[in-house]
Amino acid sequence: MNQDVQKLEELLARVRRNAAVPRTRVSAGTREASAPVHEPPAIPYKAPPYVPPAAEFTAEEVFFESEPPPKPAPVPVYVPEFAPDPVVQPSARLEAEVDELLLEDPFPSSPPAAAAPPYTEVLEDPIPLVSVSSPRRADLDEDVSGVMSIPEFGDEQPEELLEDDIVEMSPAEAEQPAVTHALDELSFDDVDVDDKRAAQPSEEEPPASSSRSKIAATMDEALARAAEQIQLEEGREVPLKTPPPESGPQAAAPPVAMHAPLAPDIEELLEADILPAGGVRAAVPTAEQLGQTIDLDEARGPSLELDQPTAAFGASPLQDASEELEVTLPGREFGGRYQDDLMPPPEARQELDAHRKRVEDDAVPPAPESLAQPPTSGFSPVLAPASVTTDSHSQSVSTVTIDAPAKAEFAPELLARPELGPSPVAKFIRSEAPRPKTFMELLDSSLALGSD
Amino acid sequence: MSLNFDPSYALEFDFGRGQVRMANAGERVIVPCDALLALCQGASEDAVRDFGRRLGTEAGRVMNDRLGEAWQASLETVLEHLGGELALMGLGSLGLERWGQALVLSFSHSPLGWAGDLLLGSVLEGAMQRSFGRDTVAIRLMRDDQKVRFLMAGRAGAHKAGNWLAEGVPWGDVLSRLATRGAS
Repeated sequence: MNQDVQKLEELLARVRRNAAVPRTRVSAGTREASAPVHEPPAIPYKAPPYVPPAAEFTAEEVFFESEPPPKPAPVPVYVPEFAPDPVVQPSARLEAEVDELLLEDPFPSSPPAAAAPPYTEVLEDPIPLVSVSSPRRADLDEDVSGVMSIPEFGDEQPEELLEDDIVEMSPAEAEQPAVTHALDELSFDDVDVDDKRAAQPSEEEPPASSSRSKIAATMDEALARAAEQIQLEEGREVPLKTPPPESGPQAAAPPVAMHAPLAPDIEELLEADILPAGGVRAAVPTAEQLGQTIDLDEARGPSLELDQPTAAFGASPLQDASEELEVTLPGREFGGRYQDDLMPPPEARQELDAHRKRVEDDAVPPAPESLAQPPTSGFSPVLAPASVTTDSHSQSVSTVTIDAPAKAEFAPELLARPELGPSPVAKFIRSEAPRPKTFMELLDSSLALGSD
Repeated sequence: MSLNFDPSYALEFDFGRGQVRMANAGERVIVPCDALLALCQGASEDAVRDFGRRLGTEAGRVMNDRLGEAWQASLETVLEHLGGELALMGLGSLGLERWGQALVLSFSHSPLGWAGDLLLGSVLEGAMQRSFGRDTVAIRLMRDDQKVRFLMAGRAGAHKAGNWLAEGVPWGDVLSRLATRGAS
């Protein structure tokens, strides 16, 4: 009995001692206690293949959630081949007592300041982290077992820890920060883990925009935070593009209006062709690529010519095309006619003046030709005279007088037939049939008809 | 000689004796027109012709009595007096047409109608025979509701004209043909 009490006291002291060291969140793995574990040689870390979690929470989802996210499903943890030395497990009874003791007060002493990660950080990493234990130091021969609990709230009741949650680890392991690798950080190339760590010196520092407000304890505090958030959002300029997830919560761009899908950006299309096809995250620049200039290779394959995409309805394609032209072409309003303010080319001005002069000269009709004058050269168009009057002096002769235009140079010579007196044009010769003087003569002539 | 026809007192009705007399002529009998037509239609053509020529001879004799020398009478005088006498008989209004050398006499408003054309033609033939002493043949050229035309021709001319009319030659062409053949 005394031995048991002494063991328990040692355990309690060890727990208290471990509570003073920085805590590292270590997910409980399925470790076979009875399985013999050998010290592995120092081999470079090789990340296991990514296994998507059952439920993955993004920053946005967590941001708008009023309750803490559910406990992530147990994820198979990579268990390195190098395992610590075989640990002599206490008896089952002793373990049960320890568990009861731990359940009563898992953190009895005052916790260190930077020991447990805040809840926000827990939520910050939606992707389950992969814990890798570093090789044990040779000088540390004492096994240290620690108990870690992921959620840690002030008012919440402590969850009942299972046996899987208990991980034994040495103080060195506790001091050494857990190697966490996000999916983006995983590389399938043969890159050393240490090199990767060196490239990310400030990895442990939280991003500037990752500060997340804590859950308000009271309703007044929640309202006050909401008011501050509204004020911040009003003064904040909404970015045009969704920033990478490292930059924290962003306000979504408000829907403008119903409009047709915009034309795809040519640069984005080209960039999408260049980037490797690996899902959505493949198109998102990684942390290493931010702020860097990436030199692209020359395009391979057949050259493509991108045509001007058709604009959405509502905008005139002609207008859009004219905006890109240096000289605005005449629009449809000048179809079928010439623009008034168009000026002839300088070499055609002289010819145009000569043409106009010829037209003005042709507008004056020439004087009518008569037999008394020699004919003018060439043929000229016959234009209608100003007025035509008919003066008939007799039935047989008529004179037509044509008023010459005022600009005529010569007076016309009029020829008329000589006047003649009225005379019969036709003569009808009336046959003078012998009219019988007496009825007897007519009767005799009639009786003579038909007789040979 | 211009003697107008004067029909005054041309008819004398003696009611005491029951007689109707014509001046300078014998007794007359006033008979219904349809009865006369019925008689003519029932009689032979020669009987009708004789009946008609007797009527015309009486008209020609009266005219001659009035005119004295009828052979010197003009067209108008003959038409006036002969027409007057035929009118007193109630046979219609006499007309005279001259188509070249052809003499055409007509009756208008005759109460006898087309059935009395043979009778009328015979009246004209009797009048010509009695007045002018010529044997003539009255050939009916045409007939309508109001007027009937007769060509007064000799026998030869009447035969030809009758043939042409029977062939359907218009009566104007018949007259032209008679005038052309007669001129040539």
